[in-house]
Amino acid sequence: MRTEAITPEEHGRAFAPTKKPEVIEQQKLDVRYHVEDFNVADRPKRFLEAFAAILKHSNYRFALEHFIRMTTKCAKCAVECPIYQATNDPHDIPCHRSELLLSVYRRHFTLAGSLKGKLFGTGHLTDDMIEEMADSFWNCTACRRCTNECPVGIDHALITHLGRYILSEIGIAPRALVVSVREQLEGATGNTSAIPLPALLDTLEFLEEDMKEEKGIDIKFPLDVEGCDYLFIPAVSDFLMEAETLMGVAAVMKATGASWTIGTQYFDGINYGLFYSDRMLERIIRKLVSEAERLKAKNILIGECGHASRSAKYFVPTHCGGKDAIPVINIMEYTRDMLRNGKLKLNPNTITETVTYHDPCNIARQGWVVDQPREIIRAFCTNFVEMTPNRENNICCGGGGGTVSIDEIRPYRTSVGGKAKADQIRATGAKYVIAPCANCKKQIRELLEDQKIDCELIGLHDLIYNAVIFDESTKSIDTKSQKG
Amino acid sequence: MQGLLDFSAGPLFRLTFFIMVLGLARILILDIWGAVDAYRKAGDKTIDWGTATRKTIKWLIPIKSVFTHKPFYSIFSISFHVGLILVPIFLLAHVRLWETAIGFGWLSLPKTWADILTLVAIIAGAGIIIGRIASSNLRFLSRKQDYLWPLLLIIPFVTGYICSNMAVSPATYQLSKLIHILSGELIFVLIPFTKITHCVIMPLSQFIMMIAWKFPAHVDDDICTTLNKKGEPV
Repeated sequence: MRTEAITPEEHGRAFAPTKKPEVIEQQKLDVRYHVEDFNVADRPKRFLEAFAAILKHSNYRFALEHFIRMTTKCAKCAVECPIYQATNDPHDIPCHRSELLLSVYRRHFTLAGSLKGKLFGTGHLTDDMIEEMADSFWNCTACRRCTNECPVGIDHALITHLGRYILSEIGIAPRALVVSVREQLEGATGNTSAIPLPALLDTLEFLEEDMKEEKGIDIKFPLDVEGCDYLFIPAVSDFLMEAETLMGVAAVMKATGASWTIGTQYFDGINYGLFYSDRMLERIIRKLVSEAERLKAKNILIGECGHASRSAKYFVPTHCGGKDAIPVINIMEYTRDMLRNGKLKLNPNTITETVTYHDPCNIARQGWVVDQPREIIRAFCTNFVEMTPNRENNICCGGGGGTVSIDEIRPYRTSVGGKAKADQIRATGAKYVIAPCANCKKQIRELLEDQKIDCELIGLHDLIYNAVIFDESTKSIDTKSQKG
Repeated sequence: MQGLLDFSAGPLFRLTFFIMVLGLARILILDIWGAVDAYRKAGDKTIDWGTATRKTIKWLIPIKSVFTHKPFYSIFSISFHVGLILVPIFLLAHVRLWETAIGFGWLSLPKTWADILTLVAIIAGAGIIIGRIASSNLRFLSRKQDYLWPLLLIIPFVTGYICSNMAVSPATYQLSKLIHILSGELIFVLIPFTKITHCVIMPLSQFIMMIAWKFPAHVDDDICTTLNKKGEPV
């Protein structure tokens, strides 16, 4: 999909530095993102040390070897990249972004590269190159569209992922992400939104009262029930910002008589490690699994969140047991299955306005959760329209890869990153855009506001809440799990 | 001249062909070995082999890409590759040479087809070079080898076409033939050391991408130890 490039004014606004000039001077890194304070001296050496350590202990080396032999510079990825499509700046072509790191690898970690470098005295890593990498890797929303369309099969997303990881080891990572992960792993509240447990309990109680009032039945958020089928873990920000989504989930669970629970020791599905550090990714996954083990849950059920689902689904097996690991499913898989087996009944005419669906990259790109939401939507919405392109080839909301959590770059996200998505939504003329992902929800809400699109962002289960039909039998069910 | 031709078509051909085969075998083995080793170390060994195979086939026969993005580039690139692969292997004159050398040959292309494919390869190759020079994006991305490769690759096609189809003087014929053989041999020697290695390792790409996302378990501790970061706050 070709979109018009942004105007020079939008460009200026989007790329304005967020830091004071004296801070930029001190850190000599004019990135638009907050970074941890660092010592600028000696950075190339530290970068290479971190790179070497990661290569030694991880699986990246063989892939980099493959990529440096393969890269053909055809620029086909440029057509797929929503960032490049918005800026038309060749520095934003995914292949160029990857080359930044591949050139360092070639020069410093291959025999031919280091011989050539030493012979001609060129190509070694400089501080300027680190600055360019920091800028480039955090301009990317990690949507992985380029990866699907590279003819020779270079995984640009993996290279950006690795680049961010190495940078984080030398202190260059968005402050918003680092602070959140610090609170999640070492803080008193143990979650990225810093919600204390009493506040969470209050919120859930309040929501239960709301649901009782609206539906006339007791719908509970069961807490700390051992031996449940499902340990439910949403993105923790849902407890603050997406209460309707949680109510929808609770209603579905009630209507289907599910055995489920929320853990009070750990209730945060967010894993920013996926965006900047494999080490943090691993630590957060372990924390998640230890809560599931504490409660002897049979499955982990992730709420409406793309990256939380992907990180749990693909990295719980990596770090916690391989094929014997606890199964991870997304809430939309559960709801669709219940719809199919008849346990969940939805009123088919609940939503008559035009509805469109945004595929979150982290669950759609690999074709994991694409059919399920559509099947659910068609069960209770009479007027569903697709965006184009969609499914595995969808366009990112513009806040992917952790960038949505960086509030100070909102102008960049809504005028560059989300430009293509805004055009897509506008073209559908829909009243509602459904985005079953905490990150996409925040980003698209801001996008609709900044781009002045007359459309409402909503979660899938927010809408389902109004469509659920409770049987008399369900109303009286008070299973073990429902006794919160 | 005849001596030089005999030397090029004889010992030099054998040497350069040997370098290419050995070099490509080395790359292929290293690539597979790397992937197997990474798979062995991966914490999660579930790989969607079916999807990887489907994607591999999709990109080995990339017809669909013609109808999506960059159709001109795709058409030029695909026809260039078809010519590059089919003509050198299935040209009747080449098959005869192999028959003489190793005792057996294989199916060959009809002369008309070989001529058409040769011309297609030349035109597509030239188109690719022009496209690379004309596009500001491609100029920005390109290294020297990206311009030189299509140029080098069409030399044997041009000279081969001259030798087999044009009424030229014996001297020109011999010179063309010499350039044809030497440029082909230069290609053989360079293949294992440049991006053209994709001719053997490209079918592995989709599998490598999938395995690369399968990280080893428990690396946090090891990396912290190596970087002396044990006990450091997040």
